[in-house]
Amino acid sequence: MSGPRSAPDREPGAPLLARAALALYPPAWRNRYGREALSLLCDLDGGLPAAASLAWRAIPAWLWPPPHLHDRGGRMRASLASMLVAWSALAGLGLVFEQLTQQQPVDPPGHAVIGWSYLIFDGAFLLSGLMLAAGGLPLWLVMMRRARRRRSARDTVYLLLPALVPAAFLAGLVILIQFIRQPGGIGTWWFLAVTLAGFAAAVAAAAGPGLALRRLRPRGPAVRLAVVAFAAAVATMLLACAASVIASTGLTVWARQFAGYHQAGPIAGYLALVTIAGTVAAVSAGRGARAALAGPPGM
Amino acid sequence: MVAELDRWADPPLLVLASLADEPRHGYAIIQDVAQTMGVQLSAGTLYAVISRLEARGLIEPLRPAGRRRPYRITATGAQELAQQTERMRKVAHVAHARLSARPGMAGA
Repeated sequence: MSGPRSAPDREPGAPLLARAALALYPPAWRNRYGREALSLLCDLDGGLPAAASLAWRAIPAWLWPPPHLHDRGGRMRASLASMLVAWSALAGLGLVFEQLTQQQPVDPPGHAVIGWSYLIFDGAFLLSGLMLAAGGLPLWLVMMRRARRRRSARDTVYLLLPALVPAAFLAGLVILIQFIRQPGGIGTWWFLAVTLAGFAAAVAAAAGPGLALRRLRPRGPAVRLAVVAFAAAVATMLLACAASVIASTGLTVWARQFAGYHQAGPIAGYLALVTIAGTVAAVSAGRGARAALAGPPGM
Repeated sequence: MVAELDRWADPPLLVLASLADEPRHGYAIIQDVAQTMGVQLSAGTLYAVISRLEARGLIEPLRPAGRRRPYRITATGAQELAQQTERMRKVAHVAHARLSARPGMAGA
């Protein structure tokens, strides 16, 4: 039931409003109905009201996509890519939390809630990383074999980015710290710059396999295993992040003497970033897991 | 209240009814529904309905003619339409009979 591969929302001669309305729909819907819907809008010559009626119906098309347009394999690959990026962002936020709290050279706060939150964070963070690695490795091997069969240097580089980028970042960081280290640390602005560079590196590292997924289009049990494992890893990472938020809030409320930067502003910013990345991760995990667990193993 | 009673103008039913005699493309369906049933379907509503009916196997697409793609009702769709119209006929019959029995409504 796959439609034409060309982009119907770029159909020459179609009204701009109609093309804009059509661009709001999911790609599968556009591929299947886009061309004839544009033709209808041209026939109706309805202008803004007709285009608005089409645009309004894009919302249910995203929320409840028609089952016959469901591309299960594509859904799983897209979920894997977005889960990987969102997980990396959450892991980066977790590492910032770790650096600013547990890695500080001061006595740990004595409140039980903070202590338990630290423990839960450490355990969930480690477990999440292990699940991601264990679930992703078989798929990574499948894609690497496919890239080698195709003699595709680009895909090979994409697949190696999760190892190459962090290694390059850490090497650069070690060298940089030799130059910027001061008796009291590296300074706030350098810390922020290094943190931003770390997030950029994390996103680049996660984007590599995502691009390889789009180009190599793997199928089969390895994809399903990766989706389920990534979804579990996301859930565990969300637990870790929740623990970090509780610990951060606890430090502000119960241990105000613990480091001077534990104020409401940074905590609120941290909570906002965790919420955004966590929402993206949870939605992707839910949609991917639903596709992976529905129906027979074949795709 | 009026909107809740508007089952008679249920868009999927209107589209099925429009396709009951012959295949039609989107524009022809809108024109037919407007002329014969007095309901103006919007483009967004029509394609939301078409995608749902196709997913349920009640209509099926034919080969496109230019940029227009006609649809025809399937056997399942015809059966569904027959059941719905039979139910509507019974409701209409009962309603008509009871309204006629009301004082001042004779011959309604």
